[in-house]
Amino acid sequence: MNNTLLRARDIHRSYGEGPTEVKVLRGVNLSVPAGEFLVVMGASGCGKSTFLHILGALDAPNRGAVEFHGKDIFSQSAQNRGFYRNREIGFVFQFYHLMPELNVLENVLIPRMVGHSILTWRRARREAKSAAAQMLERVGLSGRARHRPNELSGGERQRVAIARALINRPALLLADEPTGNLDEVTGADILKLLVELNDAGQTIVMVTHDAKVASQAHRRVHLSEGVIRETVAATGGREPAVVATARIAQ
Amino acid sequence: MYKWFLAWRYLNTKLIAFFGIASVMLCVAMVLVVLSVMGGFLDTIRARSRGLHSEIVLESGSLQGFPYYEEFQKYVAKEMPDVVRISTPVIYTYGIFRVPATTYTRPARVVGIRLKEYVQVNDFARGLYYERYFPGTTHLGEQSMPVAGLMDDGQIKLPEPLESANKRWRESETDPKTLEEFDRLPFEKAFFPSVTSVVPATRVFAVGAGPPSFEGAPKGGVIIGVDLLHYRRPDGNFDRQIARGADIALTLMPLSPTGNPTGEPPVRLPLRYADDSRTGIYEIDELCVYVEHDLLQHHLAMDAQPLEGGGSTRPRINQLQIALQPGVELNSARDRIQGAWHRFRVSLGEDITEMDERALAFVTAYTWEDMQRQFIQAVEKEKVLVTFLFGLISMVAIVLVGCIFYMIVEKKTKDIGILKALGASGKGVGGLFVVYAGAVGVVGSLLGLLVGSVFVWNINDIQDILASLNPQLRVWSPEVYSFDRIPEAVKRADAVWVAVVAVLSSIIGSLIPAWIAARVWPVKALRYE
Ligand SMILES: Nc1ncnc2c1ncn2[C@@H]1O[C@H](COP(=O)(O)OP(=O)(O)OP(=O)(O)O)[C@@H](O)[C@H]1O
Ligand SMILES: [Mg+2]
Repeated sequence: MNNTLLRARDIHRSYGEGPTEVKVLRGVNLSVPAGEFLVVMGASGCGKSTFLHILGALDAPNRGAVEFHGKDIFSQSAQNRGFYRNREIGFVFQFYHLMPELNVLENVLIPRMVGHSILTWRRARREAKSAAAQMLERVGLSGRARHRPNELSGGERQRVAIARALINRPALLLADEPTGNLDEVTGADILKLLVELNDAGQTIVMVTHDAKVASQAHRRVHLSEGVIRETVAATGGREPAVVATARIAQ
Repeated sequence: MYKWFLAWRYLNTKLIAFFGIASVMLCVAMVLVVLSVMGGFLDTIRARSRGLHSEIVLESGSLQGFPYYEEFQKYVAKEMPDVVRISTPVIYTYGIFRVPATTYTRPARVVGIRLKEYVQVNDFARGLYYERYFPGTTHLGEQSMPVAGLMDDGQIKLPEPLESANKRWRESETDPKTLEEFDRLPFEKAFFPSVTSVVPATRVFAVGAGPPSFEGAPKGGVIIGVDLLHYRRPDGNFDRQIARGADIALTLMPLSPTGNPTGEPPVRLPLRYADDSRTGIYEIDELCVYVEHDLLQHHLAMDAQPLEGGGSTRPRINQLQIALQPGVELNSARDRIQGAWHRFRVSLGEDITEMDERALAFVTAYTWEDMQRQFIQAVEKEKVLVTFLFGLISMVAIVLVGCIFYMIVEKKTKDIGILKALGASGKGVGGLFVVYAGAVGVVGSLLGLLVGSVFVWNINDIQDILASLNPQLRVWSPEVYSFDRIPEAVKRADAVWVAVVAVLSSIIGSLIPAWIAARVWPVKALRYE
């Protein structure tokens, strides 16, 4: 498939050295086509977060490559990796990782600010603010723009984190157990939001160990003993929008 | 962009920023206070010694002194009028100071001066007490004791010219506070013929029953170092108990030109208390008394003495104080005068006695700074100590500020991870903390300068308040530190230096952890819980 957005090739990652070395990833291969909603499952401690961090260039593999549009992100300059994290990837963490000093709107704006110098920001600010407001509306939080993260519930914080991840319209959304810290109802809400985003064309790779959550994806992969063991096609009858479109075009 | 925005936001919302600001502020204030007080201390010592010395002092360093000074005065006046403005001879000796009306006896350094010339070569005039409020009345010539009289209207009046001299001062004094203070402390009365007052006061005059007059046999005047006879009150005024013009006795031991006692009995010199002098250096003011130069020279047998084989010895002095023309550089003037002295000695030729020759050989020119160095070596030692202590304090302050910023950045490691995960570069994140630390440093420094300056400006009032609560808290004792007031000026250069170093150490302290954190992969900072 030439619409592959992201490809992981033979990813190895271990922690520690010598006798205490823990080999977490031992040659993970995976490709993610554009528009897909992919779920990574596996037992706790099997290396799901490690893998996702490597996909998002938040961590480096010991061996192997992550190709984005066919180009290995780890053989590029640190500056380019910064661009990759800022523009191509949106990352959602299990523990939200919002900045407590900033209000909701400002948290969402940070990725935009990162891309601008103080000089260019003056001109970009208006557009960025309306994009952030739009994003907050998209995640259903337009009324809370001026609130601080500690005034929000867990579900609301995760929505803010999603809005922040999407403000720069990244090609790929990486979500590490976005519902892991939430109750069932709130988790289902977040999941619904992700599904809607995916339906609108957003490529998503999500880590979870909740089978119910996983059922919403197009495809599930299982990580165990450092490799991807099985790939299970979607059970919920959902298909990647792009694939569906491609099929219609045939 | 985000770094400016976040730095501003951290500054506004982080409690730790206030600790950072507070610590920078306290360090800056502390260093500024130490620097100002100690710098002021050393400056004051330098300035005060001008009350004692002219710009250039020519001295042999021995008690029997050196001859041919009058010839040298003429020589320099002719040879280098562009360098020397005026010169005046000074005699030093030691004696026993006594107040006959009391049992008070002290050793004293007796200084023979020509008052009219002496006040032109140094700041001596500024430290005279009675001369200030009764200008033109202090002299070292023969004088009787002024006795105030009771007028018909019940008023007490001083004899002329004191009364009109005081009126002159009143008219010329522009500071109403000084006038008000003078009136608040009227002179205390010593009832003639007693010359001591029961109540100590800032001024004491004898008061008689008749009209204002001058009483007693005329005697030479003596100016007494203020700490030799009087006690300083906490408010800075001195308590006097002896009336102006009271009898003073000095006992002197004349030396021959060879430096041996002349064999004559010690000279008892009857004098009258004319005024007191305050150079501001305690070591001097508790020891020195000043009398008429010619009188002292005569009684010490340092004037021309007839020789057995006919002729006479040359008059001798201990010191020639020389004031320079305006704008002449001090050290070069000293060297030129020293050179002139050597040429002068050569010009004297062969027909001087061997003894005189020897005395002349040791005469050396010093600047007043050299003299001060000789005179108060202890202060120089103190300066080294103070510099060392100050250096230590500054180092502590710098390290402290650095540590606090290290802690601040450590606490924000997670934010560094988040920002890097969102695409910020290591340089950018480092920049954020530099901006932040710089802002904390600048705000803290400004507040510190304010607090420190206000403290220094009011340091004497603060001490007075503390002392009024508990006298033990008066840390600045004039006996120990030579001055009655703690220096209370802040130098702009000091302030700028302190602030710049504080801001730099804030930035450096933050730079190290920020640089470390900015280099790691984002996960490392994020997993840090
Ligand atoms: N910095 C580290 N140093 C040493 N070991 C680490 C480090 N980070 C992760 N590990 C180990 O790597 C393994 C995989 O961790 P990872 O967080 O990727 O697991 P996970 O699959 O996401 O687990 P969970 O489902 O609990 O989130 C774990 O055994 C963990 O102990
Ligand atoms: Mg995990």
